[in-house]
Amino acid sequence: MAPRPRARPLFACLATVIVLAPLAWFWYASLVPDSYSVMDMGHADRTGGHHHGTRSVDTLTVDPGLAADVRVTLTARAERFALASGRWVRGYTLNGTSPGPVIRATQGQLVEVALVNESVEEGTTLHWHGVDVPNAADGVAGVTQDAVAPGRSHTYRFFADRAGTYWYHAHQFSHEQVRRGLFGAVVIAPRAPAGPVTAPDPGPAAADHLALVHRYDGVRTVDGRSGDVPVPADPGGTVRVRVVNTDNGPMNVWTVGGPYRVVAVDGTEVHEPSPVTGEAVLVTAGGRVDLELVVPAGGARVELGGDTALLLTPPGGTAPAGTAAPRRLLDLLSYGTPAPTGLDPARVTREFAYDIGRRPGFLDGRPGLWWTINGRMFPDMPMFHVTEGDVVRFRISNHSGEVHPMHLHGHHALVVSRDGDPATGSPWWIDSLNVADGESYDIVFLADNPGVWADHCHNLPHATQGLVGHLLYDGVSTPYRIGGGGTANRPE
Amino acid sequence: MRSFYRGAAYAIAALVFVQAAAIAFGVFGLGRWVEDGGVLDKAAMESDDTPFPEVAGFIVHGINGQMVIPLVAIVLLVVSFFARIPGGVRWAATIVLLIAAQVLLGMFGHGAPFLGLLHGANALLIFSAAVFAARRVGGHHTSTGEPAAVATDPGR
Repeated sequence: MAPRPRARPLFACLATVIVLAPLAWFWYASLVPDSYSVMDMGHADRTGGHHHGTRSVDTLTVDPGLAADVRVTLTARAERFALASGRWVRGYTLNGTSPGPVIRATQGQLVEVALVNESVEEGTTLHWHGVDVPNAADGVAGVTQDAVAPGRSHTYRFFADRAGTYWYHAHQFSHEQVRRGLFGAVVIAPRAPAGPVTAPDPGPAAADHLALVHRYDGVRTVDGRSGDVPVPADPGGTVRVRVVNTDNGPMNVWTVGGPYRVVAVDGTEVHEPSPVTGEAVLVTAGGRVDLELVVPAGGARVELGGDTALLLTPPGGTAPAGTAAPRRLLDLLSYGTPAPTGLDPARVTREFAYDIGRRPGFLDGRPGLWWTINGRMFPDMPMFHVTEGDVVRFRISNHSGEVHPMHLHGHHALVVSRDGDPATGSPWWIDSLNVADGESYDIVFLADNPGVWADHCHNLPHATQGLVGHLLYDGVSTPYRIGGGGTANRPE
Repeated sequence: MRSFYRGAAYAIAALVFVQAAAIAFGVFGLGRWVEDGGVLDKAAMESDDTPFPEVAGFIVHGINGQMVIPLVAIVLLVVSFFARIPGGVRWAATIVLLIAAQVLLGMFGHGAPFLGLLHGANALLIFSAAVFAARRVGGHHTSTGEPAAVATDPGR
């Protein structure tokens, strides 16, 4: 049975080659060049014609001749800083604080932000999460600009096109820089005094409170404070709480003491939202939800997941004690009432699948279990080709075993259905969508913002693990490259 | 080669030992953290921060299980081709398959927790198979080196 003694080493060597050669091949094939352009990345996903790029992303700007209405300078530093809670953190600040300053504008205004990098060694950028900026202002290192090296600056110009709650954050080493503090909120006020036409009695203007939720060094905070955060509130008054989830996982938000209404999702008003009790609303990573509640005489709590809560406390009073999280989640697919969207899902001109899976393999030489899009692994990620004016449908499905908060840059998409069930509530516009394991969403958007746009998982470490695709408009190209020497562009 | 085989097999057994210890360490640390007021939700799970020191147990379990043990198993398989141990290749291949199954169970267990039952049980199979493979080498041959081992082993 056993091979003859002389043949034995030969068989052993052969067997070794048979075992190791495929592994070596997969390892070698996974290596990513030192520097590359997203234009050459992955495989083209086209459902129509294709023209070569003639317009650089650099040309996709707001008219440089227009004067800005809101001017802000943000100076990024790597330093040790104190949170509002008094705790010291080593990380990054903008103008000396983290979260950075809130950028406030009124709908229609031109915003100009100068980012100055004082001491962020590996370079930085700012991305305007949820604001549909011109592509040149999107802030993705290696795609729409080079990372801003220490001592350099970069100016972003965009129109505050829609009222709502947004945020900005670094998109260079984002998984590290966001976690350690390089972010802040953007609040855009409506052009005219608020008051939806459909509301019978708008009542007095709501008090406005921003709730920027972030974990610093493992401690959950809201606007830099942790635990129960008291907020003075008048009983009977209406408070709008703008919740921004800057972390990597979804969080549940609910109230104690009285019902709440979800008045806006990802910066878009919900049509005729009804009061909610006994249910939490999920805010996905990178997502925003605006809640409104009438402050009861005994105060109210707005639970922000973890052990953090806002306590809306009447003068001299107290707020109720916390409760366990409601087991049920509010379903935004059927929340509110329908309204015209201006977008006809029946007139779709492009359809793409964005199918998220996971399999073992090598990622740039590192063995592990890595994410796949449409069965392929980084760097073989899809480039979705569209033409300006297309009505685009994505079917995002997830069977990777974990939830993914999917974020499309530069556009707002309408959720049409989930697992085949059509949306029946208010038009549900998203820029950040929580796609749980086993779920499938159809979303539709109008391709009206030319450029090269990332379409990625906003669990930022997942993005570093290759869960990034791009949307490419015909006729557009980028001169920027990812990787390379010096201040290398590392968007994720 | 024979002692190398034995060493690699015992190393796998020892690393499985580390796996069991590390995951229990992590879970106990998590328990105490929650007792002390920590709240575990998805955002906490997805955070790269270390809210309690025993998180190291989860990290060790992940790196050891997904990288170190599979690597040692492949080394064991390659060594088995040269080591001329009766049934050595078969046992090494069995261990590789059990470990591949273990990694996949760990991976898909996030979506289907009942797989954890198999994951825990399969760990004992890997441990047993590794010890059994190591013991097939025969203790008294190892210190004498390969020629002696070959000489005493011819017809088996």
